[in-house]
Amino acid sequence: MNLIRLGAALFALLAMSALAAETGSVIRAHGIKAEPFRDAKTIATLSVGDKVEIVKKDGGWLQIKSPKGKGWVHMLNVRKEGVRKDAGDMGGLLGLASGRAGTGKVVATTGIRGLDEVELKSAKYNETELNLVESYAVNRADAQLFAIRGQLVTRKFDYLPSPEVSPE
Amino acid sequence: MKAIMKYLLVAALTLACSAAWSFDFEEEFKKAIKDGVQQKIEEKSDAATSSALMGFVGISQEQEITIGRQIAGNLLGASALVKDRSLQIYVNNVGRWVASQGERPELAWHFGVIESSDVNAFAAPGGYIFLTRGLYSLLQNEAELAGVLGHEIGHVIRKHHLKILQQSSLVDLGGRLLSKQIGGSDKVQKLIGNGAEIVARSLDKNAEFEADRIAVVLAARAGYGAFALPEVLQQIGHFAKDDGSVALLFKTHPHPDDRLEKLGLAMSDRLEDVKGKTLVARFYRIKP
Repeated sequence: MNLIRLGAALFALLAMSALAAETGSVIRAHGIKAEPFRDAKTIATLSVGDKVEIVKKDGGWLQIKSPKGKGWVHMLNVRKEGVRKDAGDMGGLLGLASGRAGTGKVVATTGIRGLDEVELKSAKYNETELNLVESYAVNRADAQLFAIRGQLVTRKFDYLPSPEVSPE
Repeated sequence: MKAIMKYLLVAALTLACSAAWSFDFEEEFKKAIKDGVQQKIEEKSDAATSSALMGFVGISQEQEITIGRQIAGNLLGASALVKDRSLQIYVNNVGRWVASQGERPELAWHFGVIESSDVNAFAAPGGYIFLTRGLYSLLQNEAELAGVLGHEIGHVIRKHHLKILQQSSLVDLGGRLLSKQIGGSDKVQKLIGNGAEIVARSLDKNAEFEADRIAVVLAARAGYGAFALPEVLQQIGHFAKDDGSVALLFKTHPHPDDRLEKLGLAMSDRLEDVKGKTLVARFYRIKP
């Protein structure tokens, strides 16, 4: 009986996830690219406010469908809409909807409290916990080994200038 | 002429008294310029400002760590560490690797995940960085963790919280305290206010935008995808404004949509074609 109920619940959730396609709204006019990189061919141009349906992601790129065409746009040109979290425990549902079931993603867990200003102000120094966190420290050489194990390759990049060009 | 002298005097006095560089002062100063005071003061101010900055830089790294340690200890008093050693070591590995890409790679960086369902992350001077279980649970992959930690690392690199301490009236006290040997934790506590309230204070919003820009660059340098932090921001932007778990984060930071817009402007085409790793398979899933 419980199994049936669970099955029904799962079915309902999966059905919802199928319906909950992510959509977005264009916040900067830009071209739809044939492939997920900047120099790829431009298929059509989106205007601010255009609605797009997000099919999938690749790095910073989103594959989208829109009345103007299908292709790739950069995520920073689109504000995602659709799945909106309401106060409370949508964590599990969201997890399922985006294919993250079973990832241990639990947002609202009873028994774990929040952390507000009042608590922070009245916080009392905890030496034991401080020593504990310090015991987890990883040195630079070990972090490098960790990076190598993940096949992370360093690259050179300058810091980005502030977009505020004129100070006055 | 008289008016100019008056402004000069006020400017000089202000600088002498505060002995600190602050955003507030800059605002005041801009107003003064608008009021008709010319180039001369500007030059004078630059010299005075940089000498104040020198004084600021004069806080030794050791002193900075002492301050950060006190704040970290207090924060941990409010929320303890998640008791999962593998998780904590994992986060330290990622954090240390990202921090190694910045200007303070030699700092003894410390990272921790703390028990709170809130979505937030905190940085204290000297390289003490914490994120909540609530935020960690939202993350999808290692690159996103790198991006979140990169933002906090940015605050530490640019000493944003130390600057806040200086802006507040605690500066004078701090200056005197720090000029001598820092003794017990009581003195440091006086400097940082109550408990860990400093981490609940809002930084200037430009400091937040700056930390975002640093985060994407450090993540990219470290070999991760540069758009992982924007992904996290998009997700956080979906929280309802009245959701308690993001209340403090939203209060102390510009809205994620604004941060994304600013990042979009700053990144423009610079990083679009950068393909980094997300390392989703290696990402440590936190136990509920």
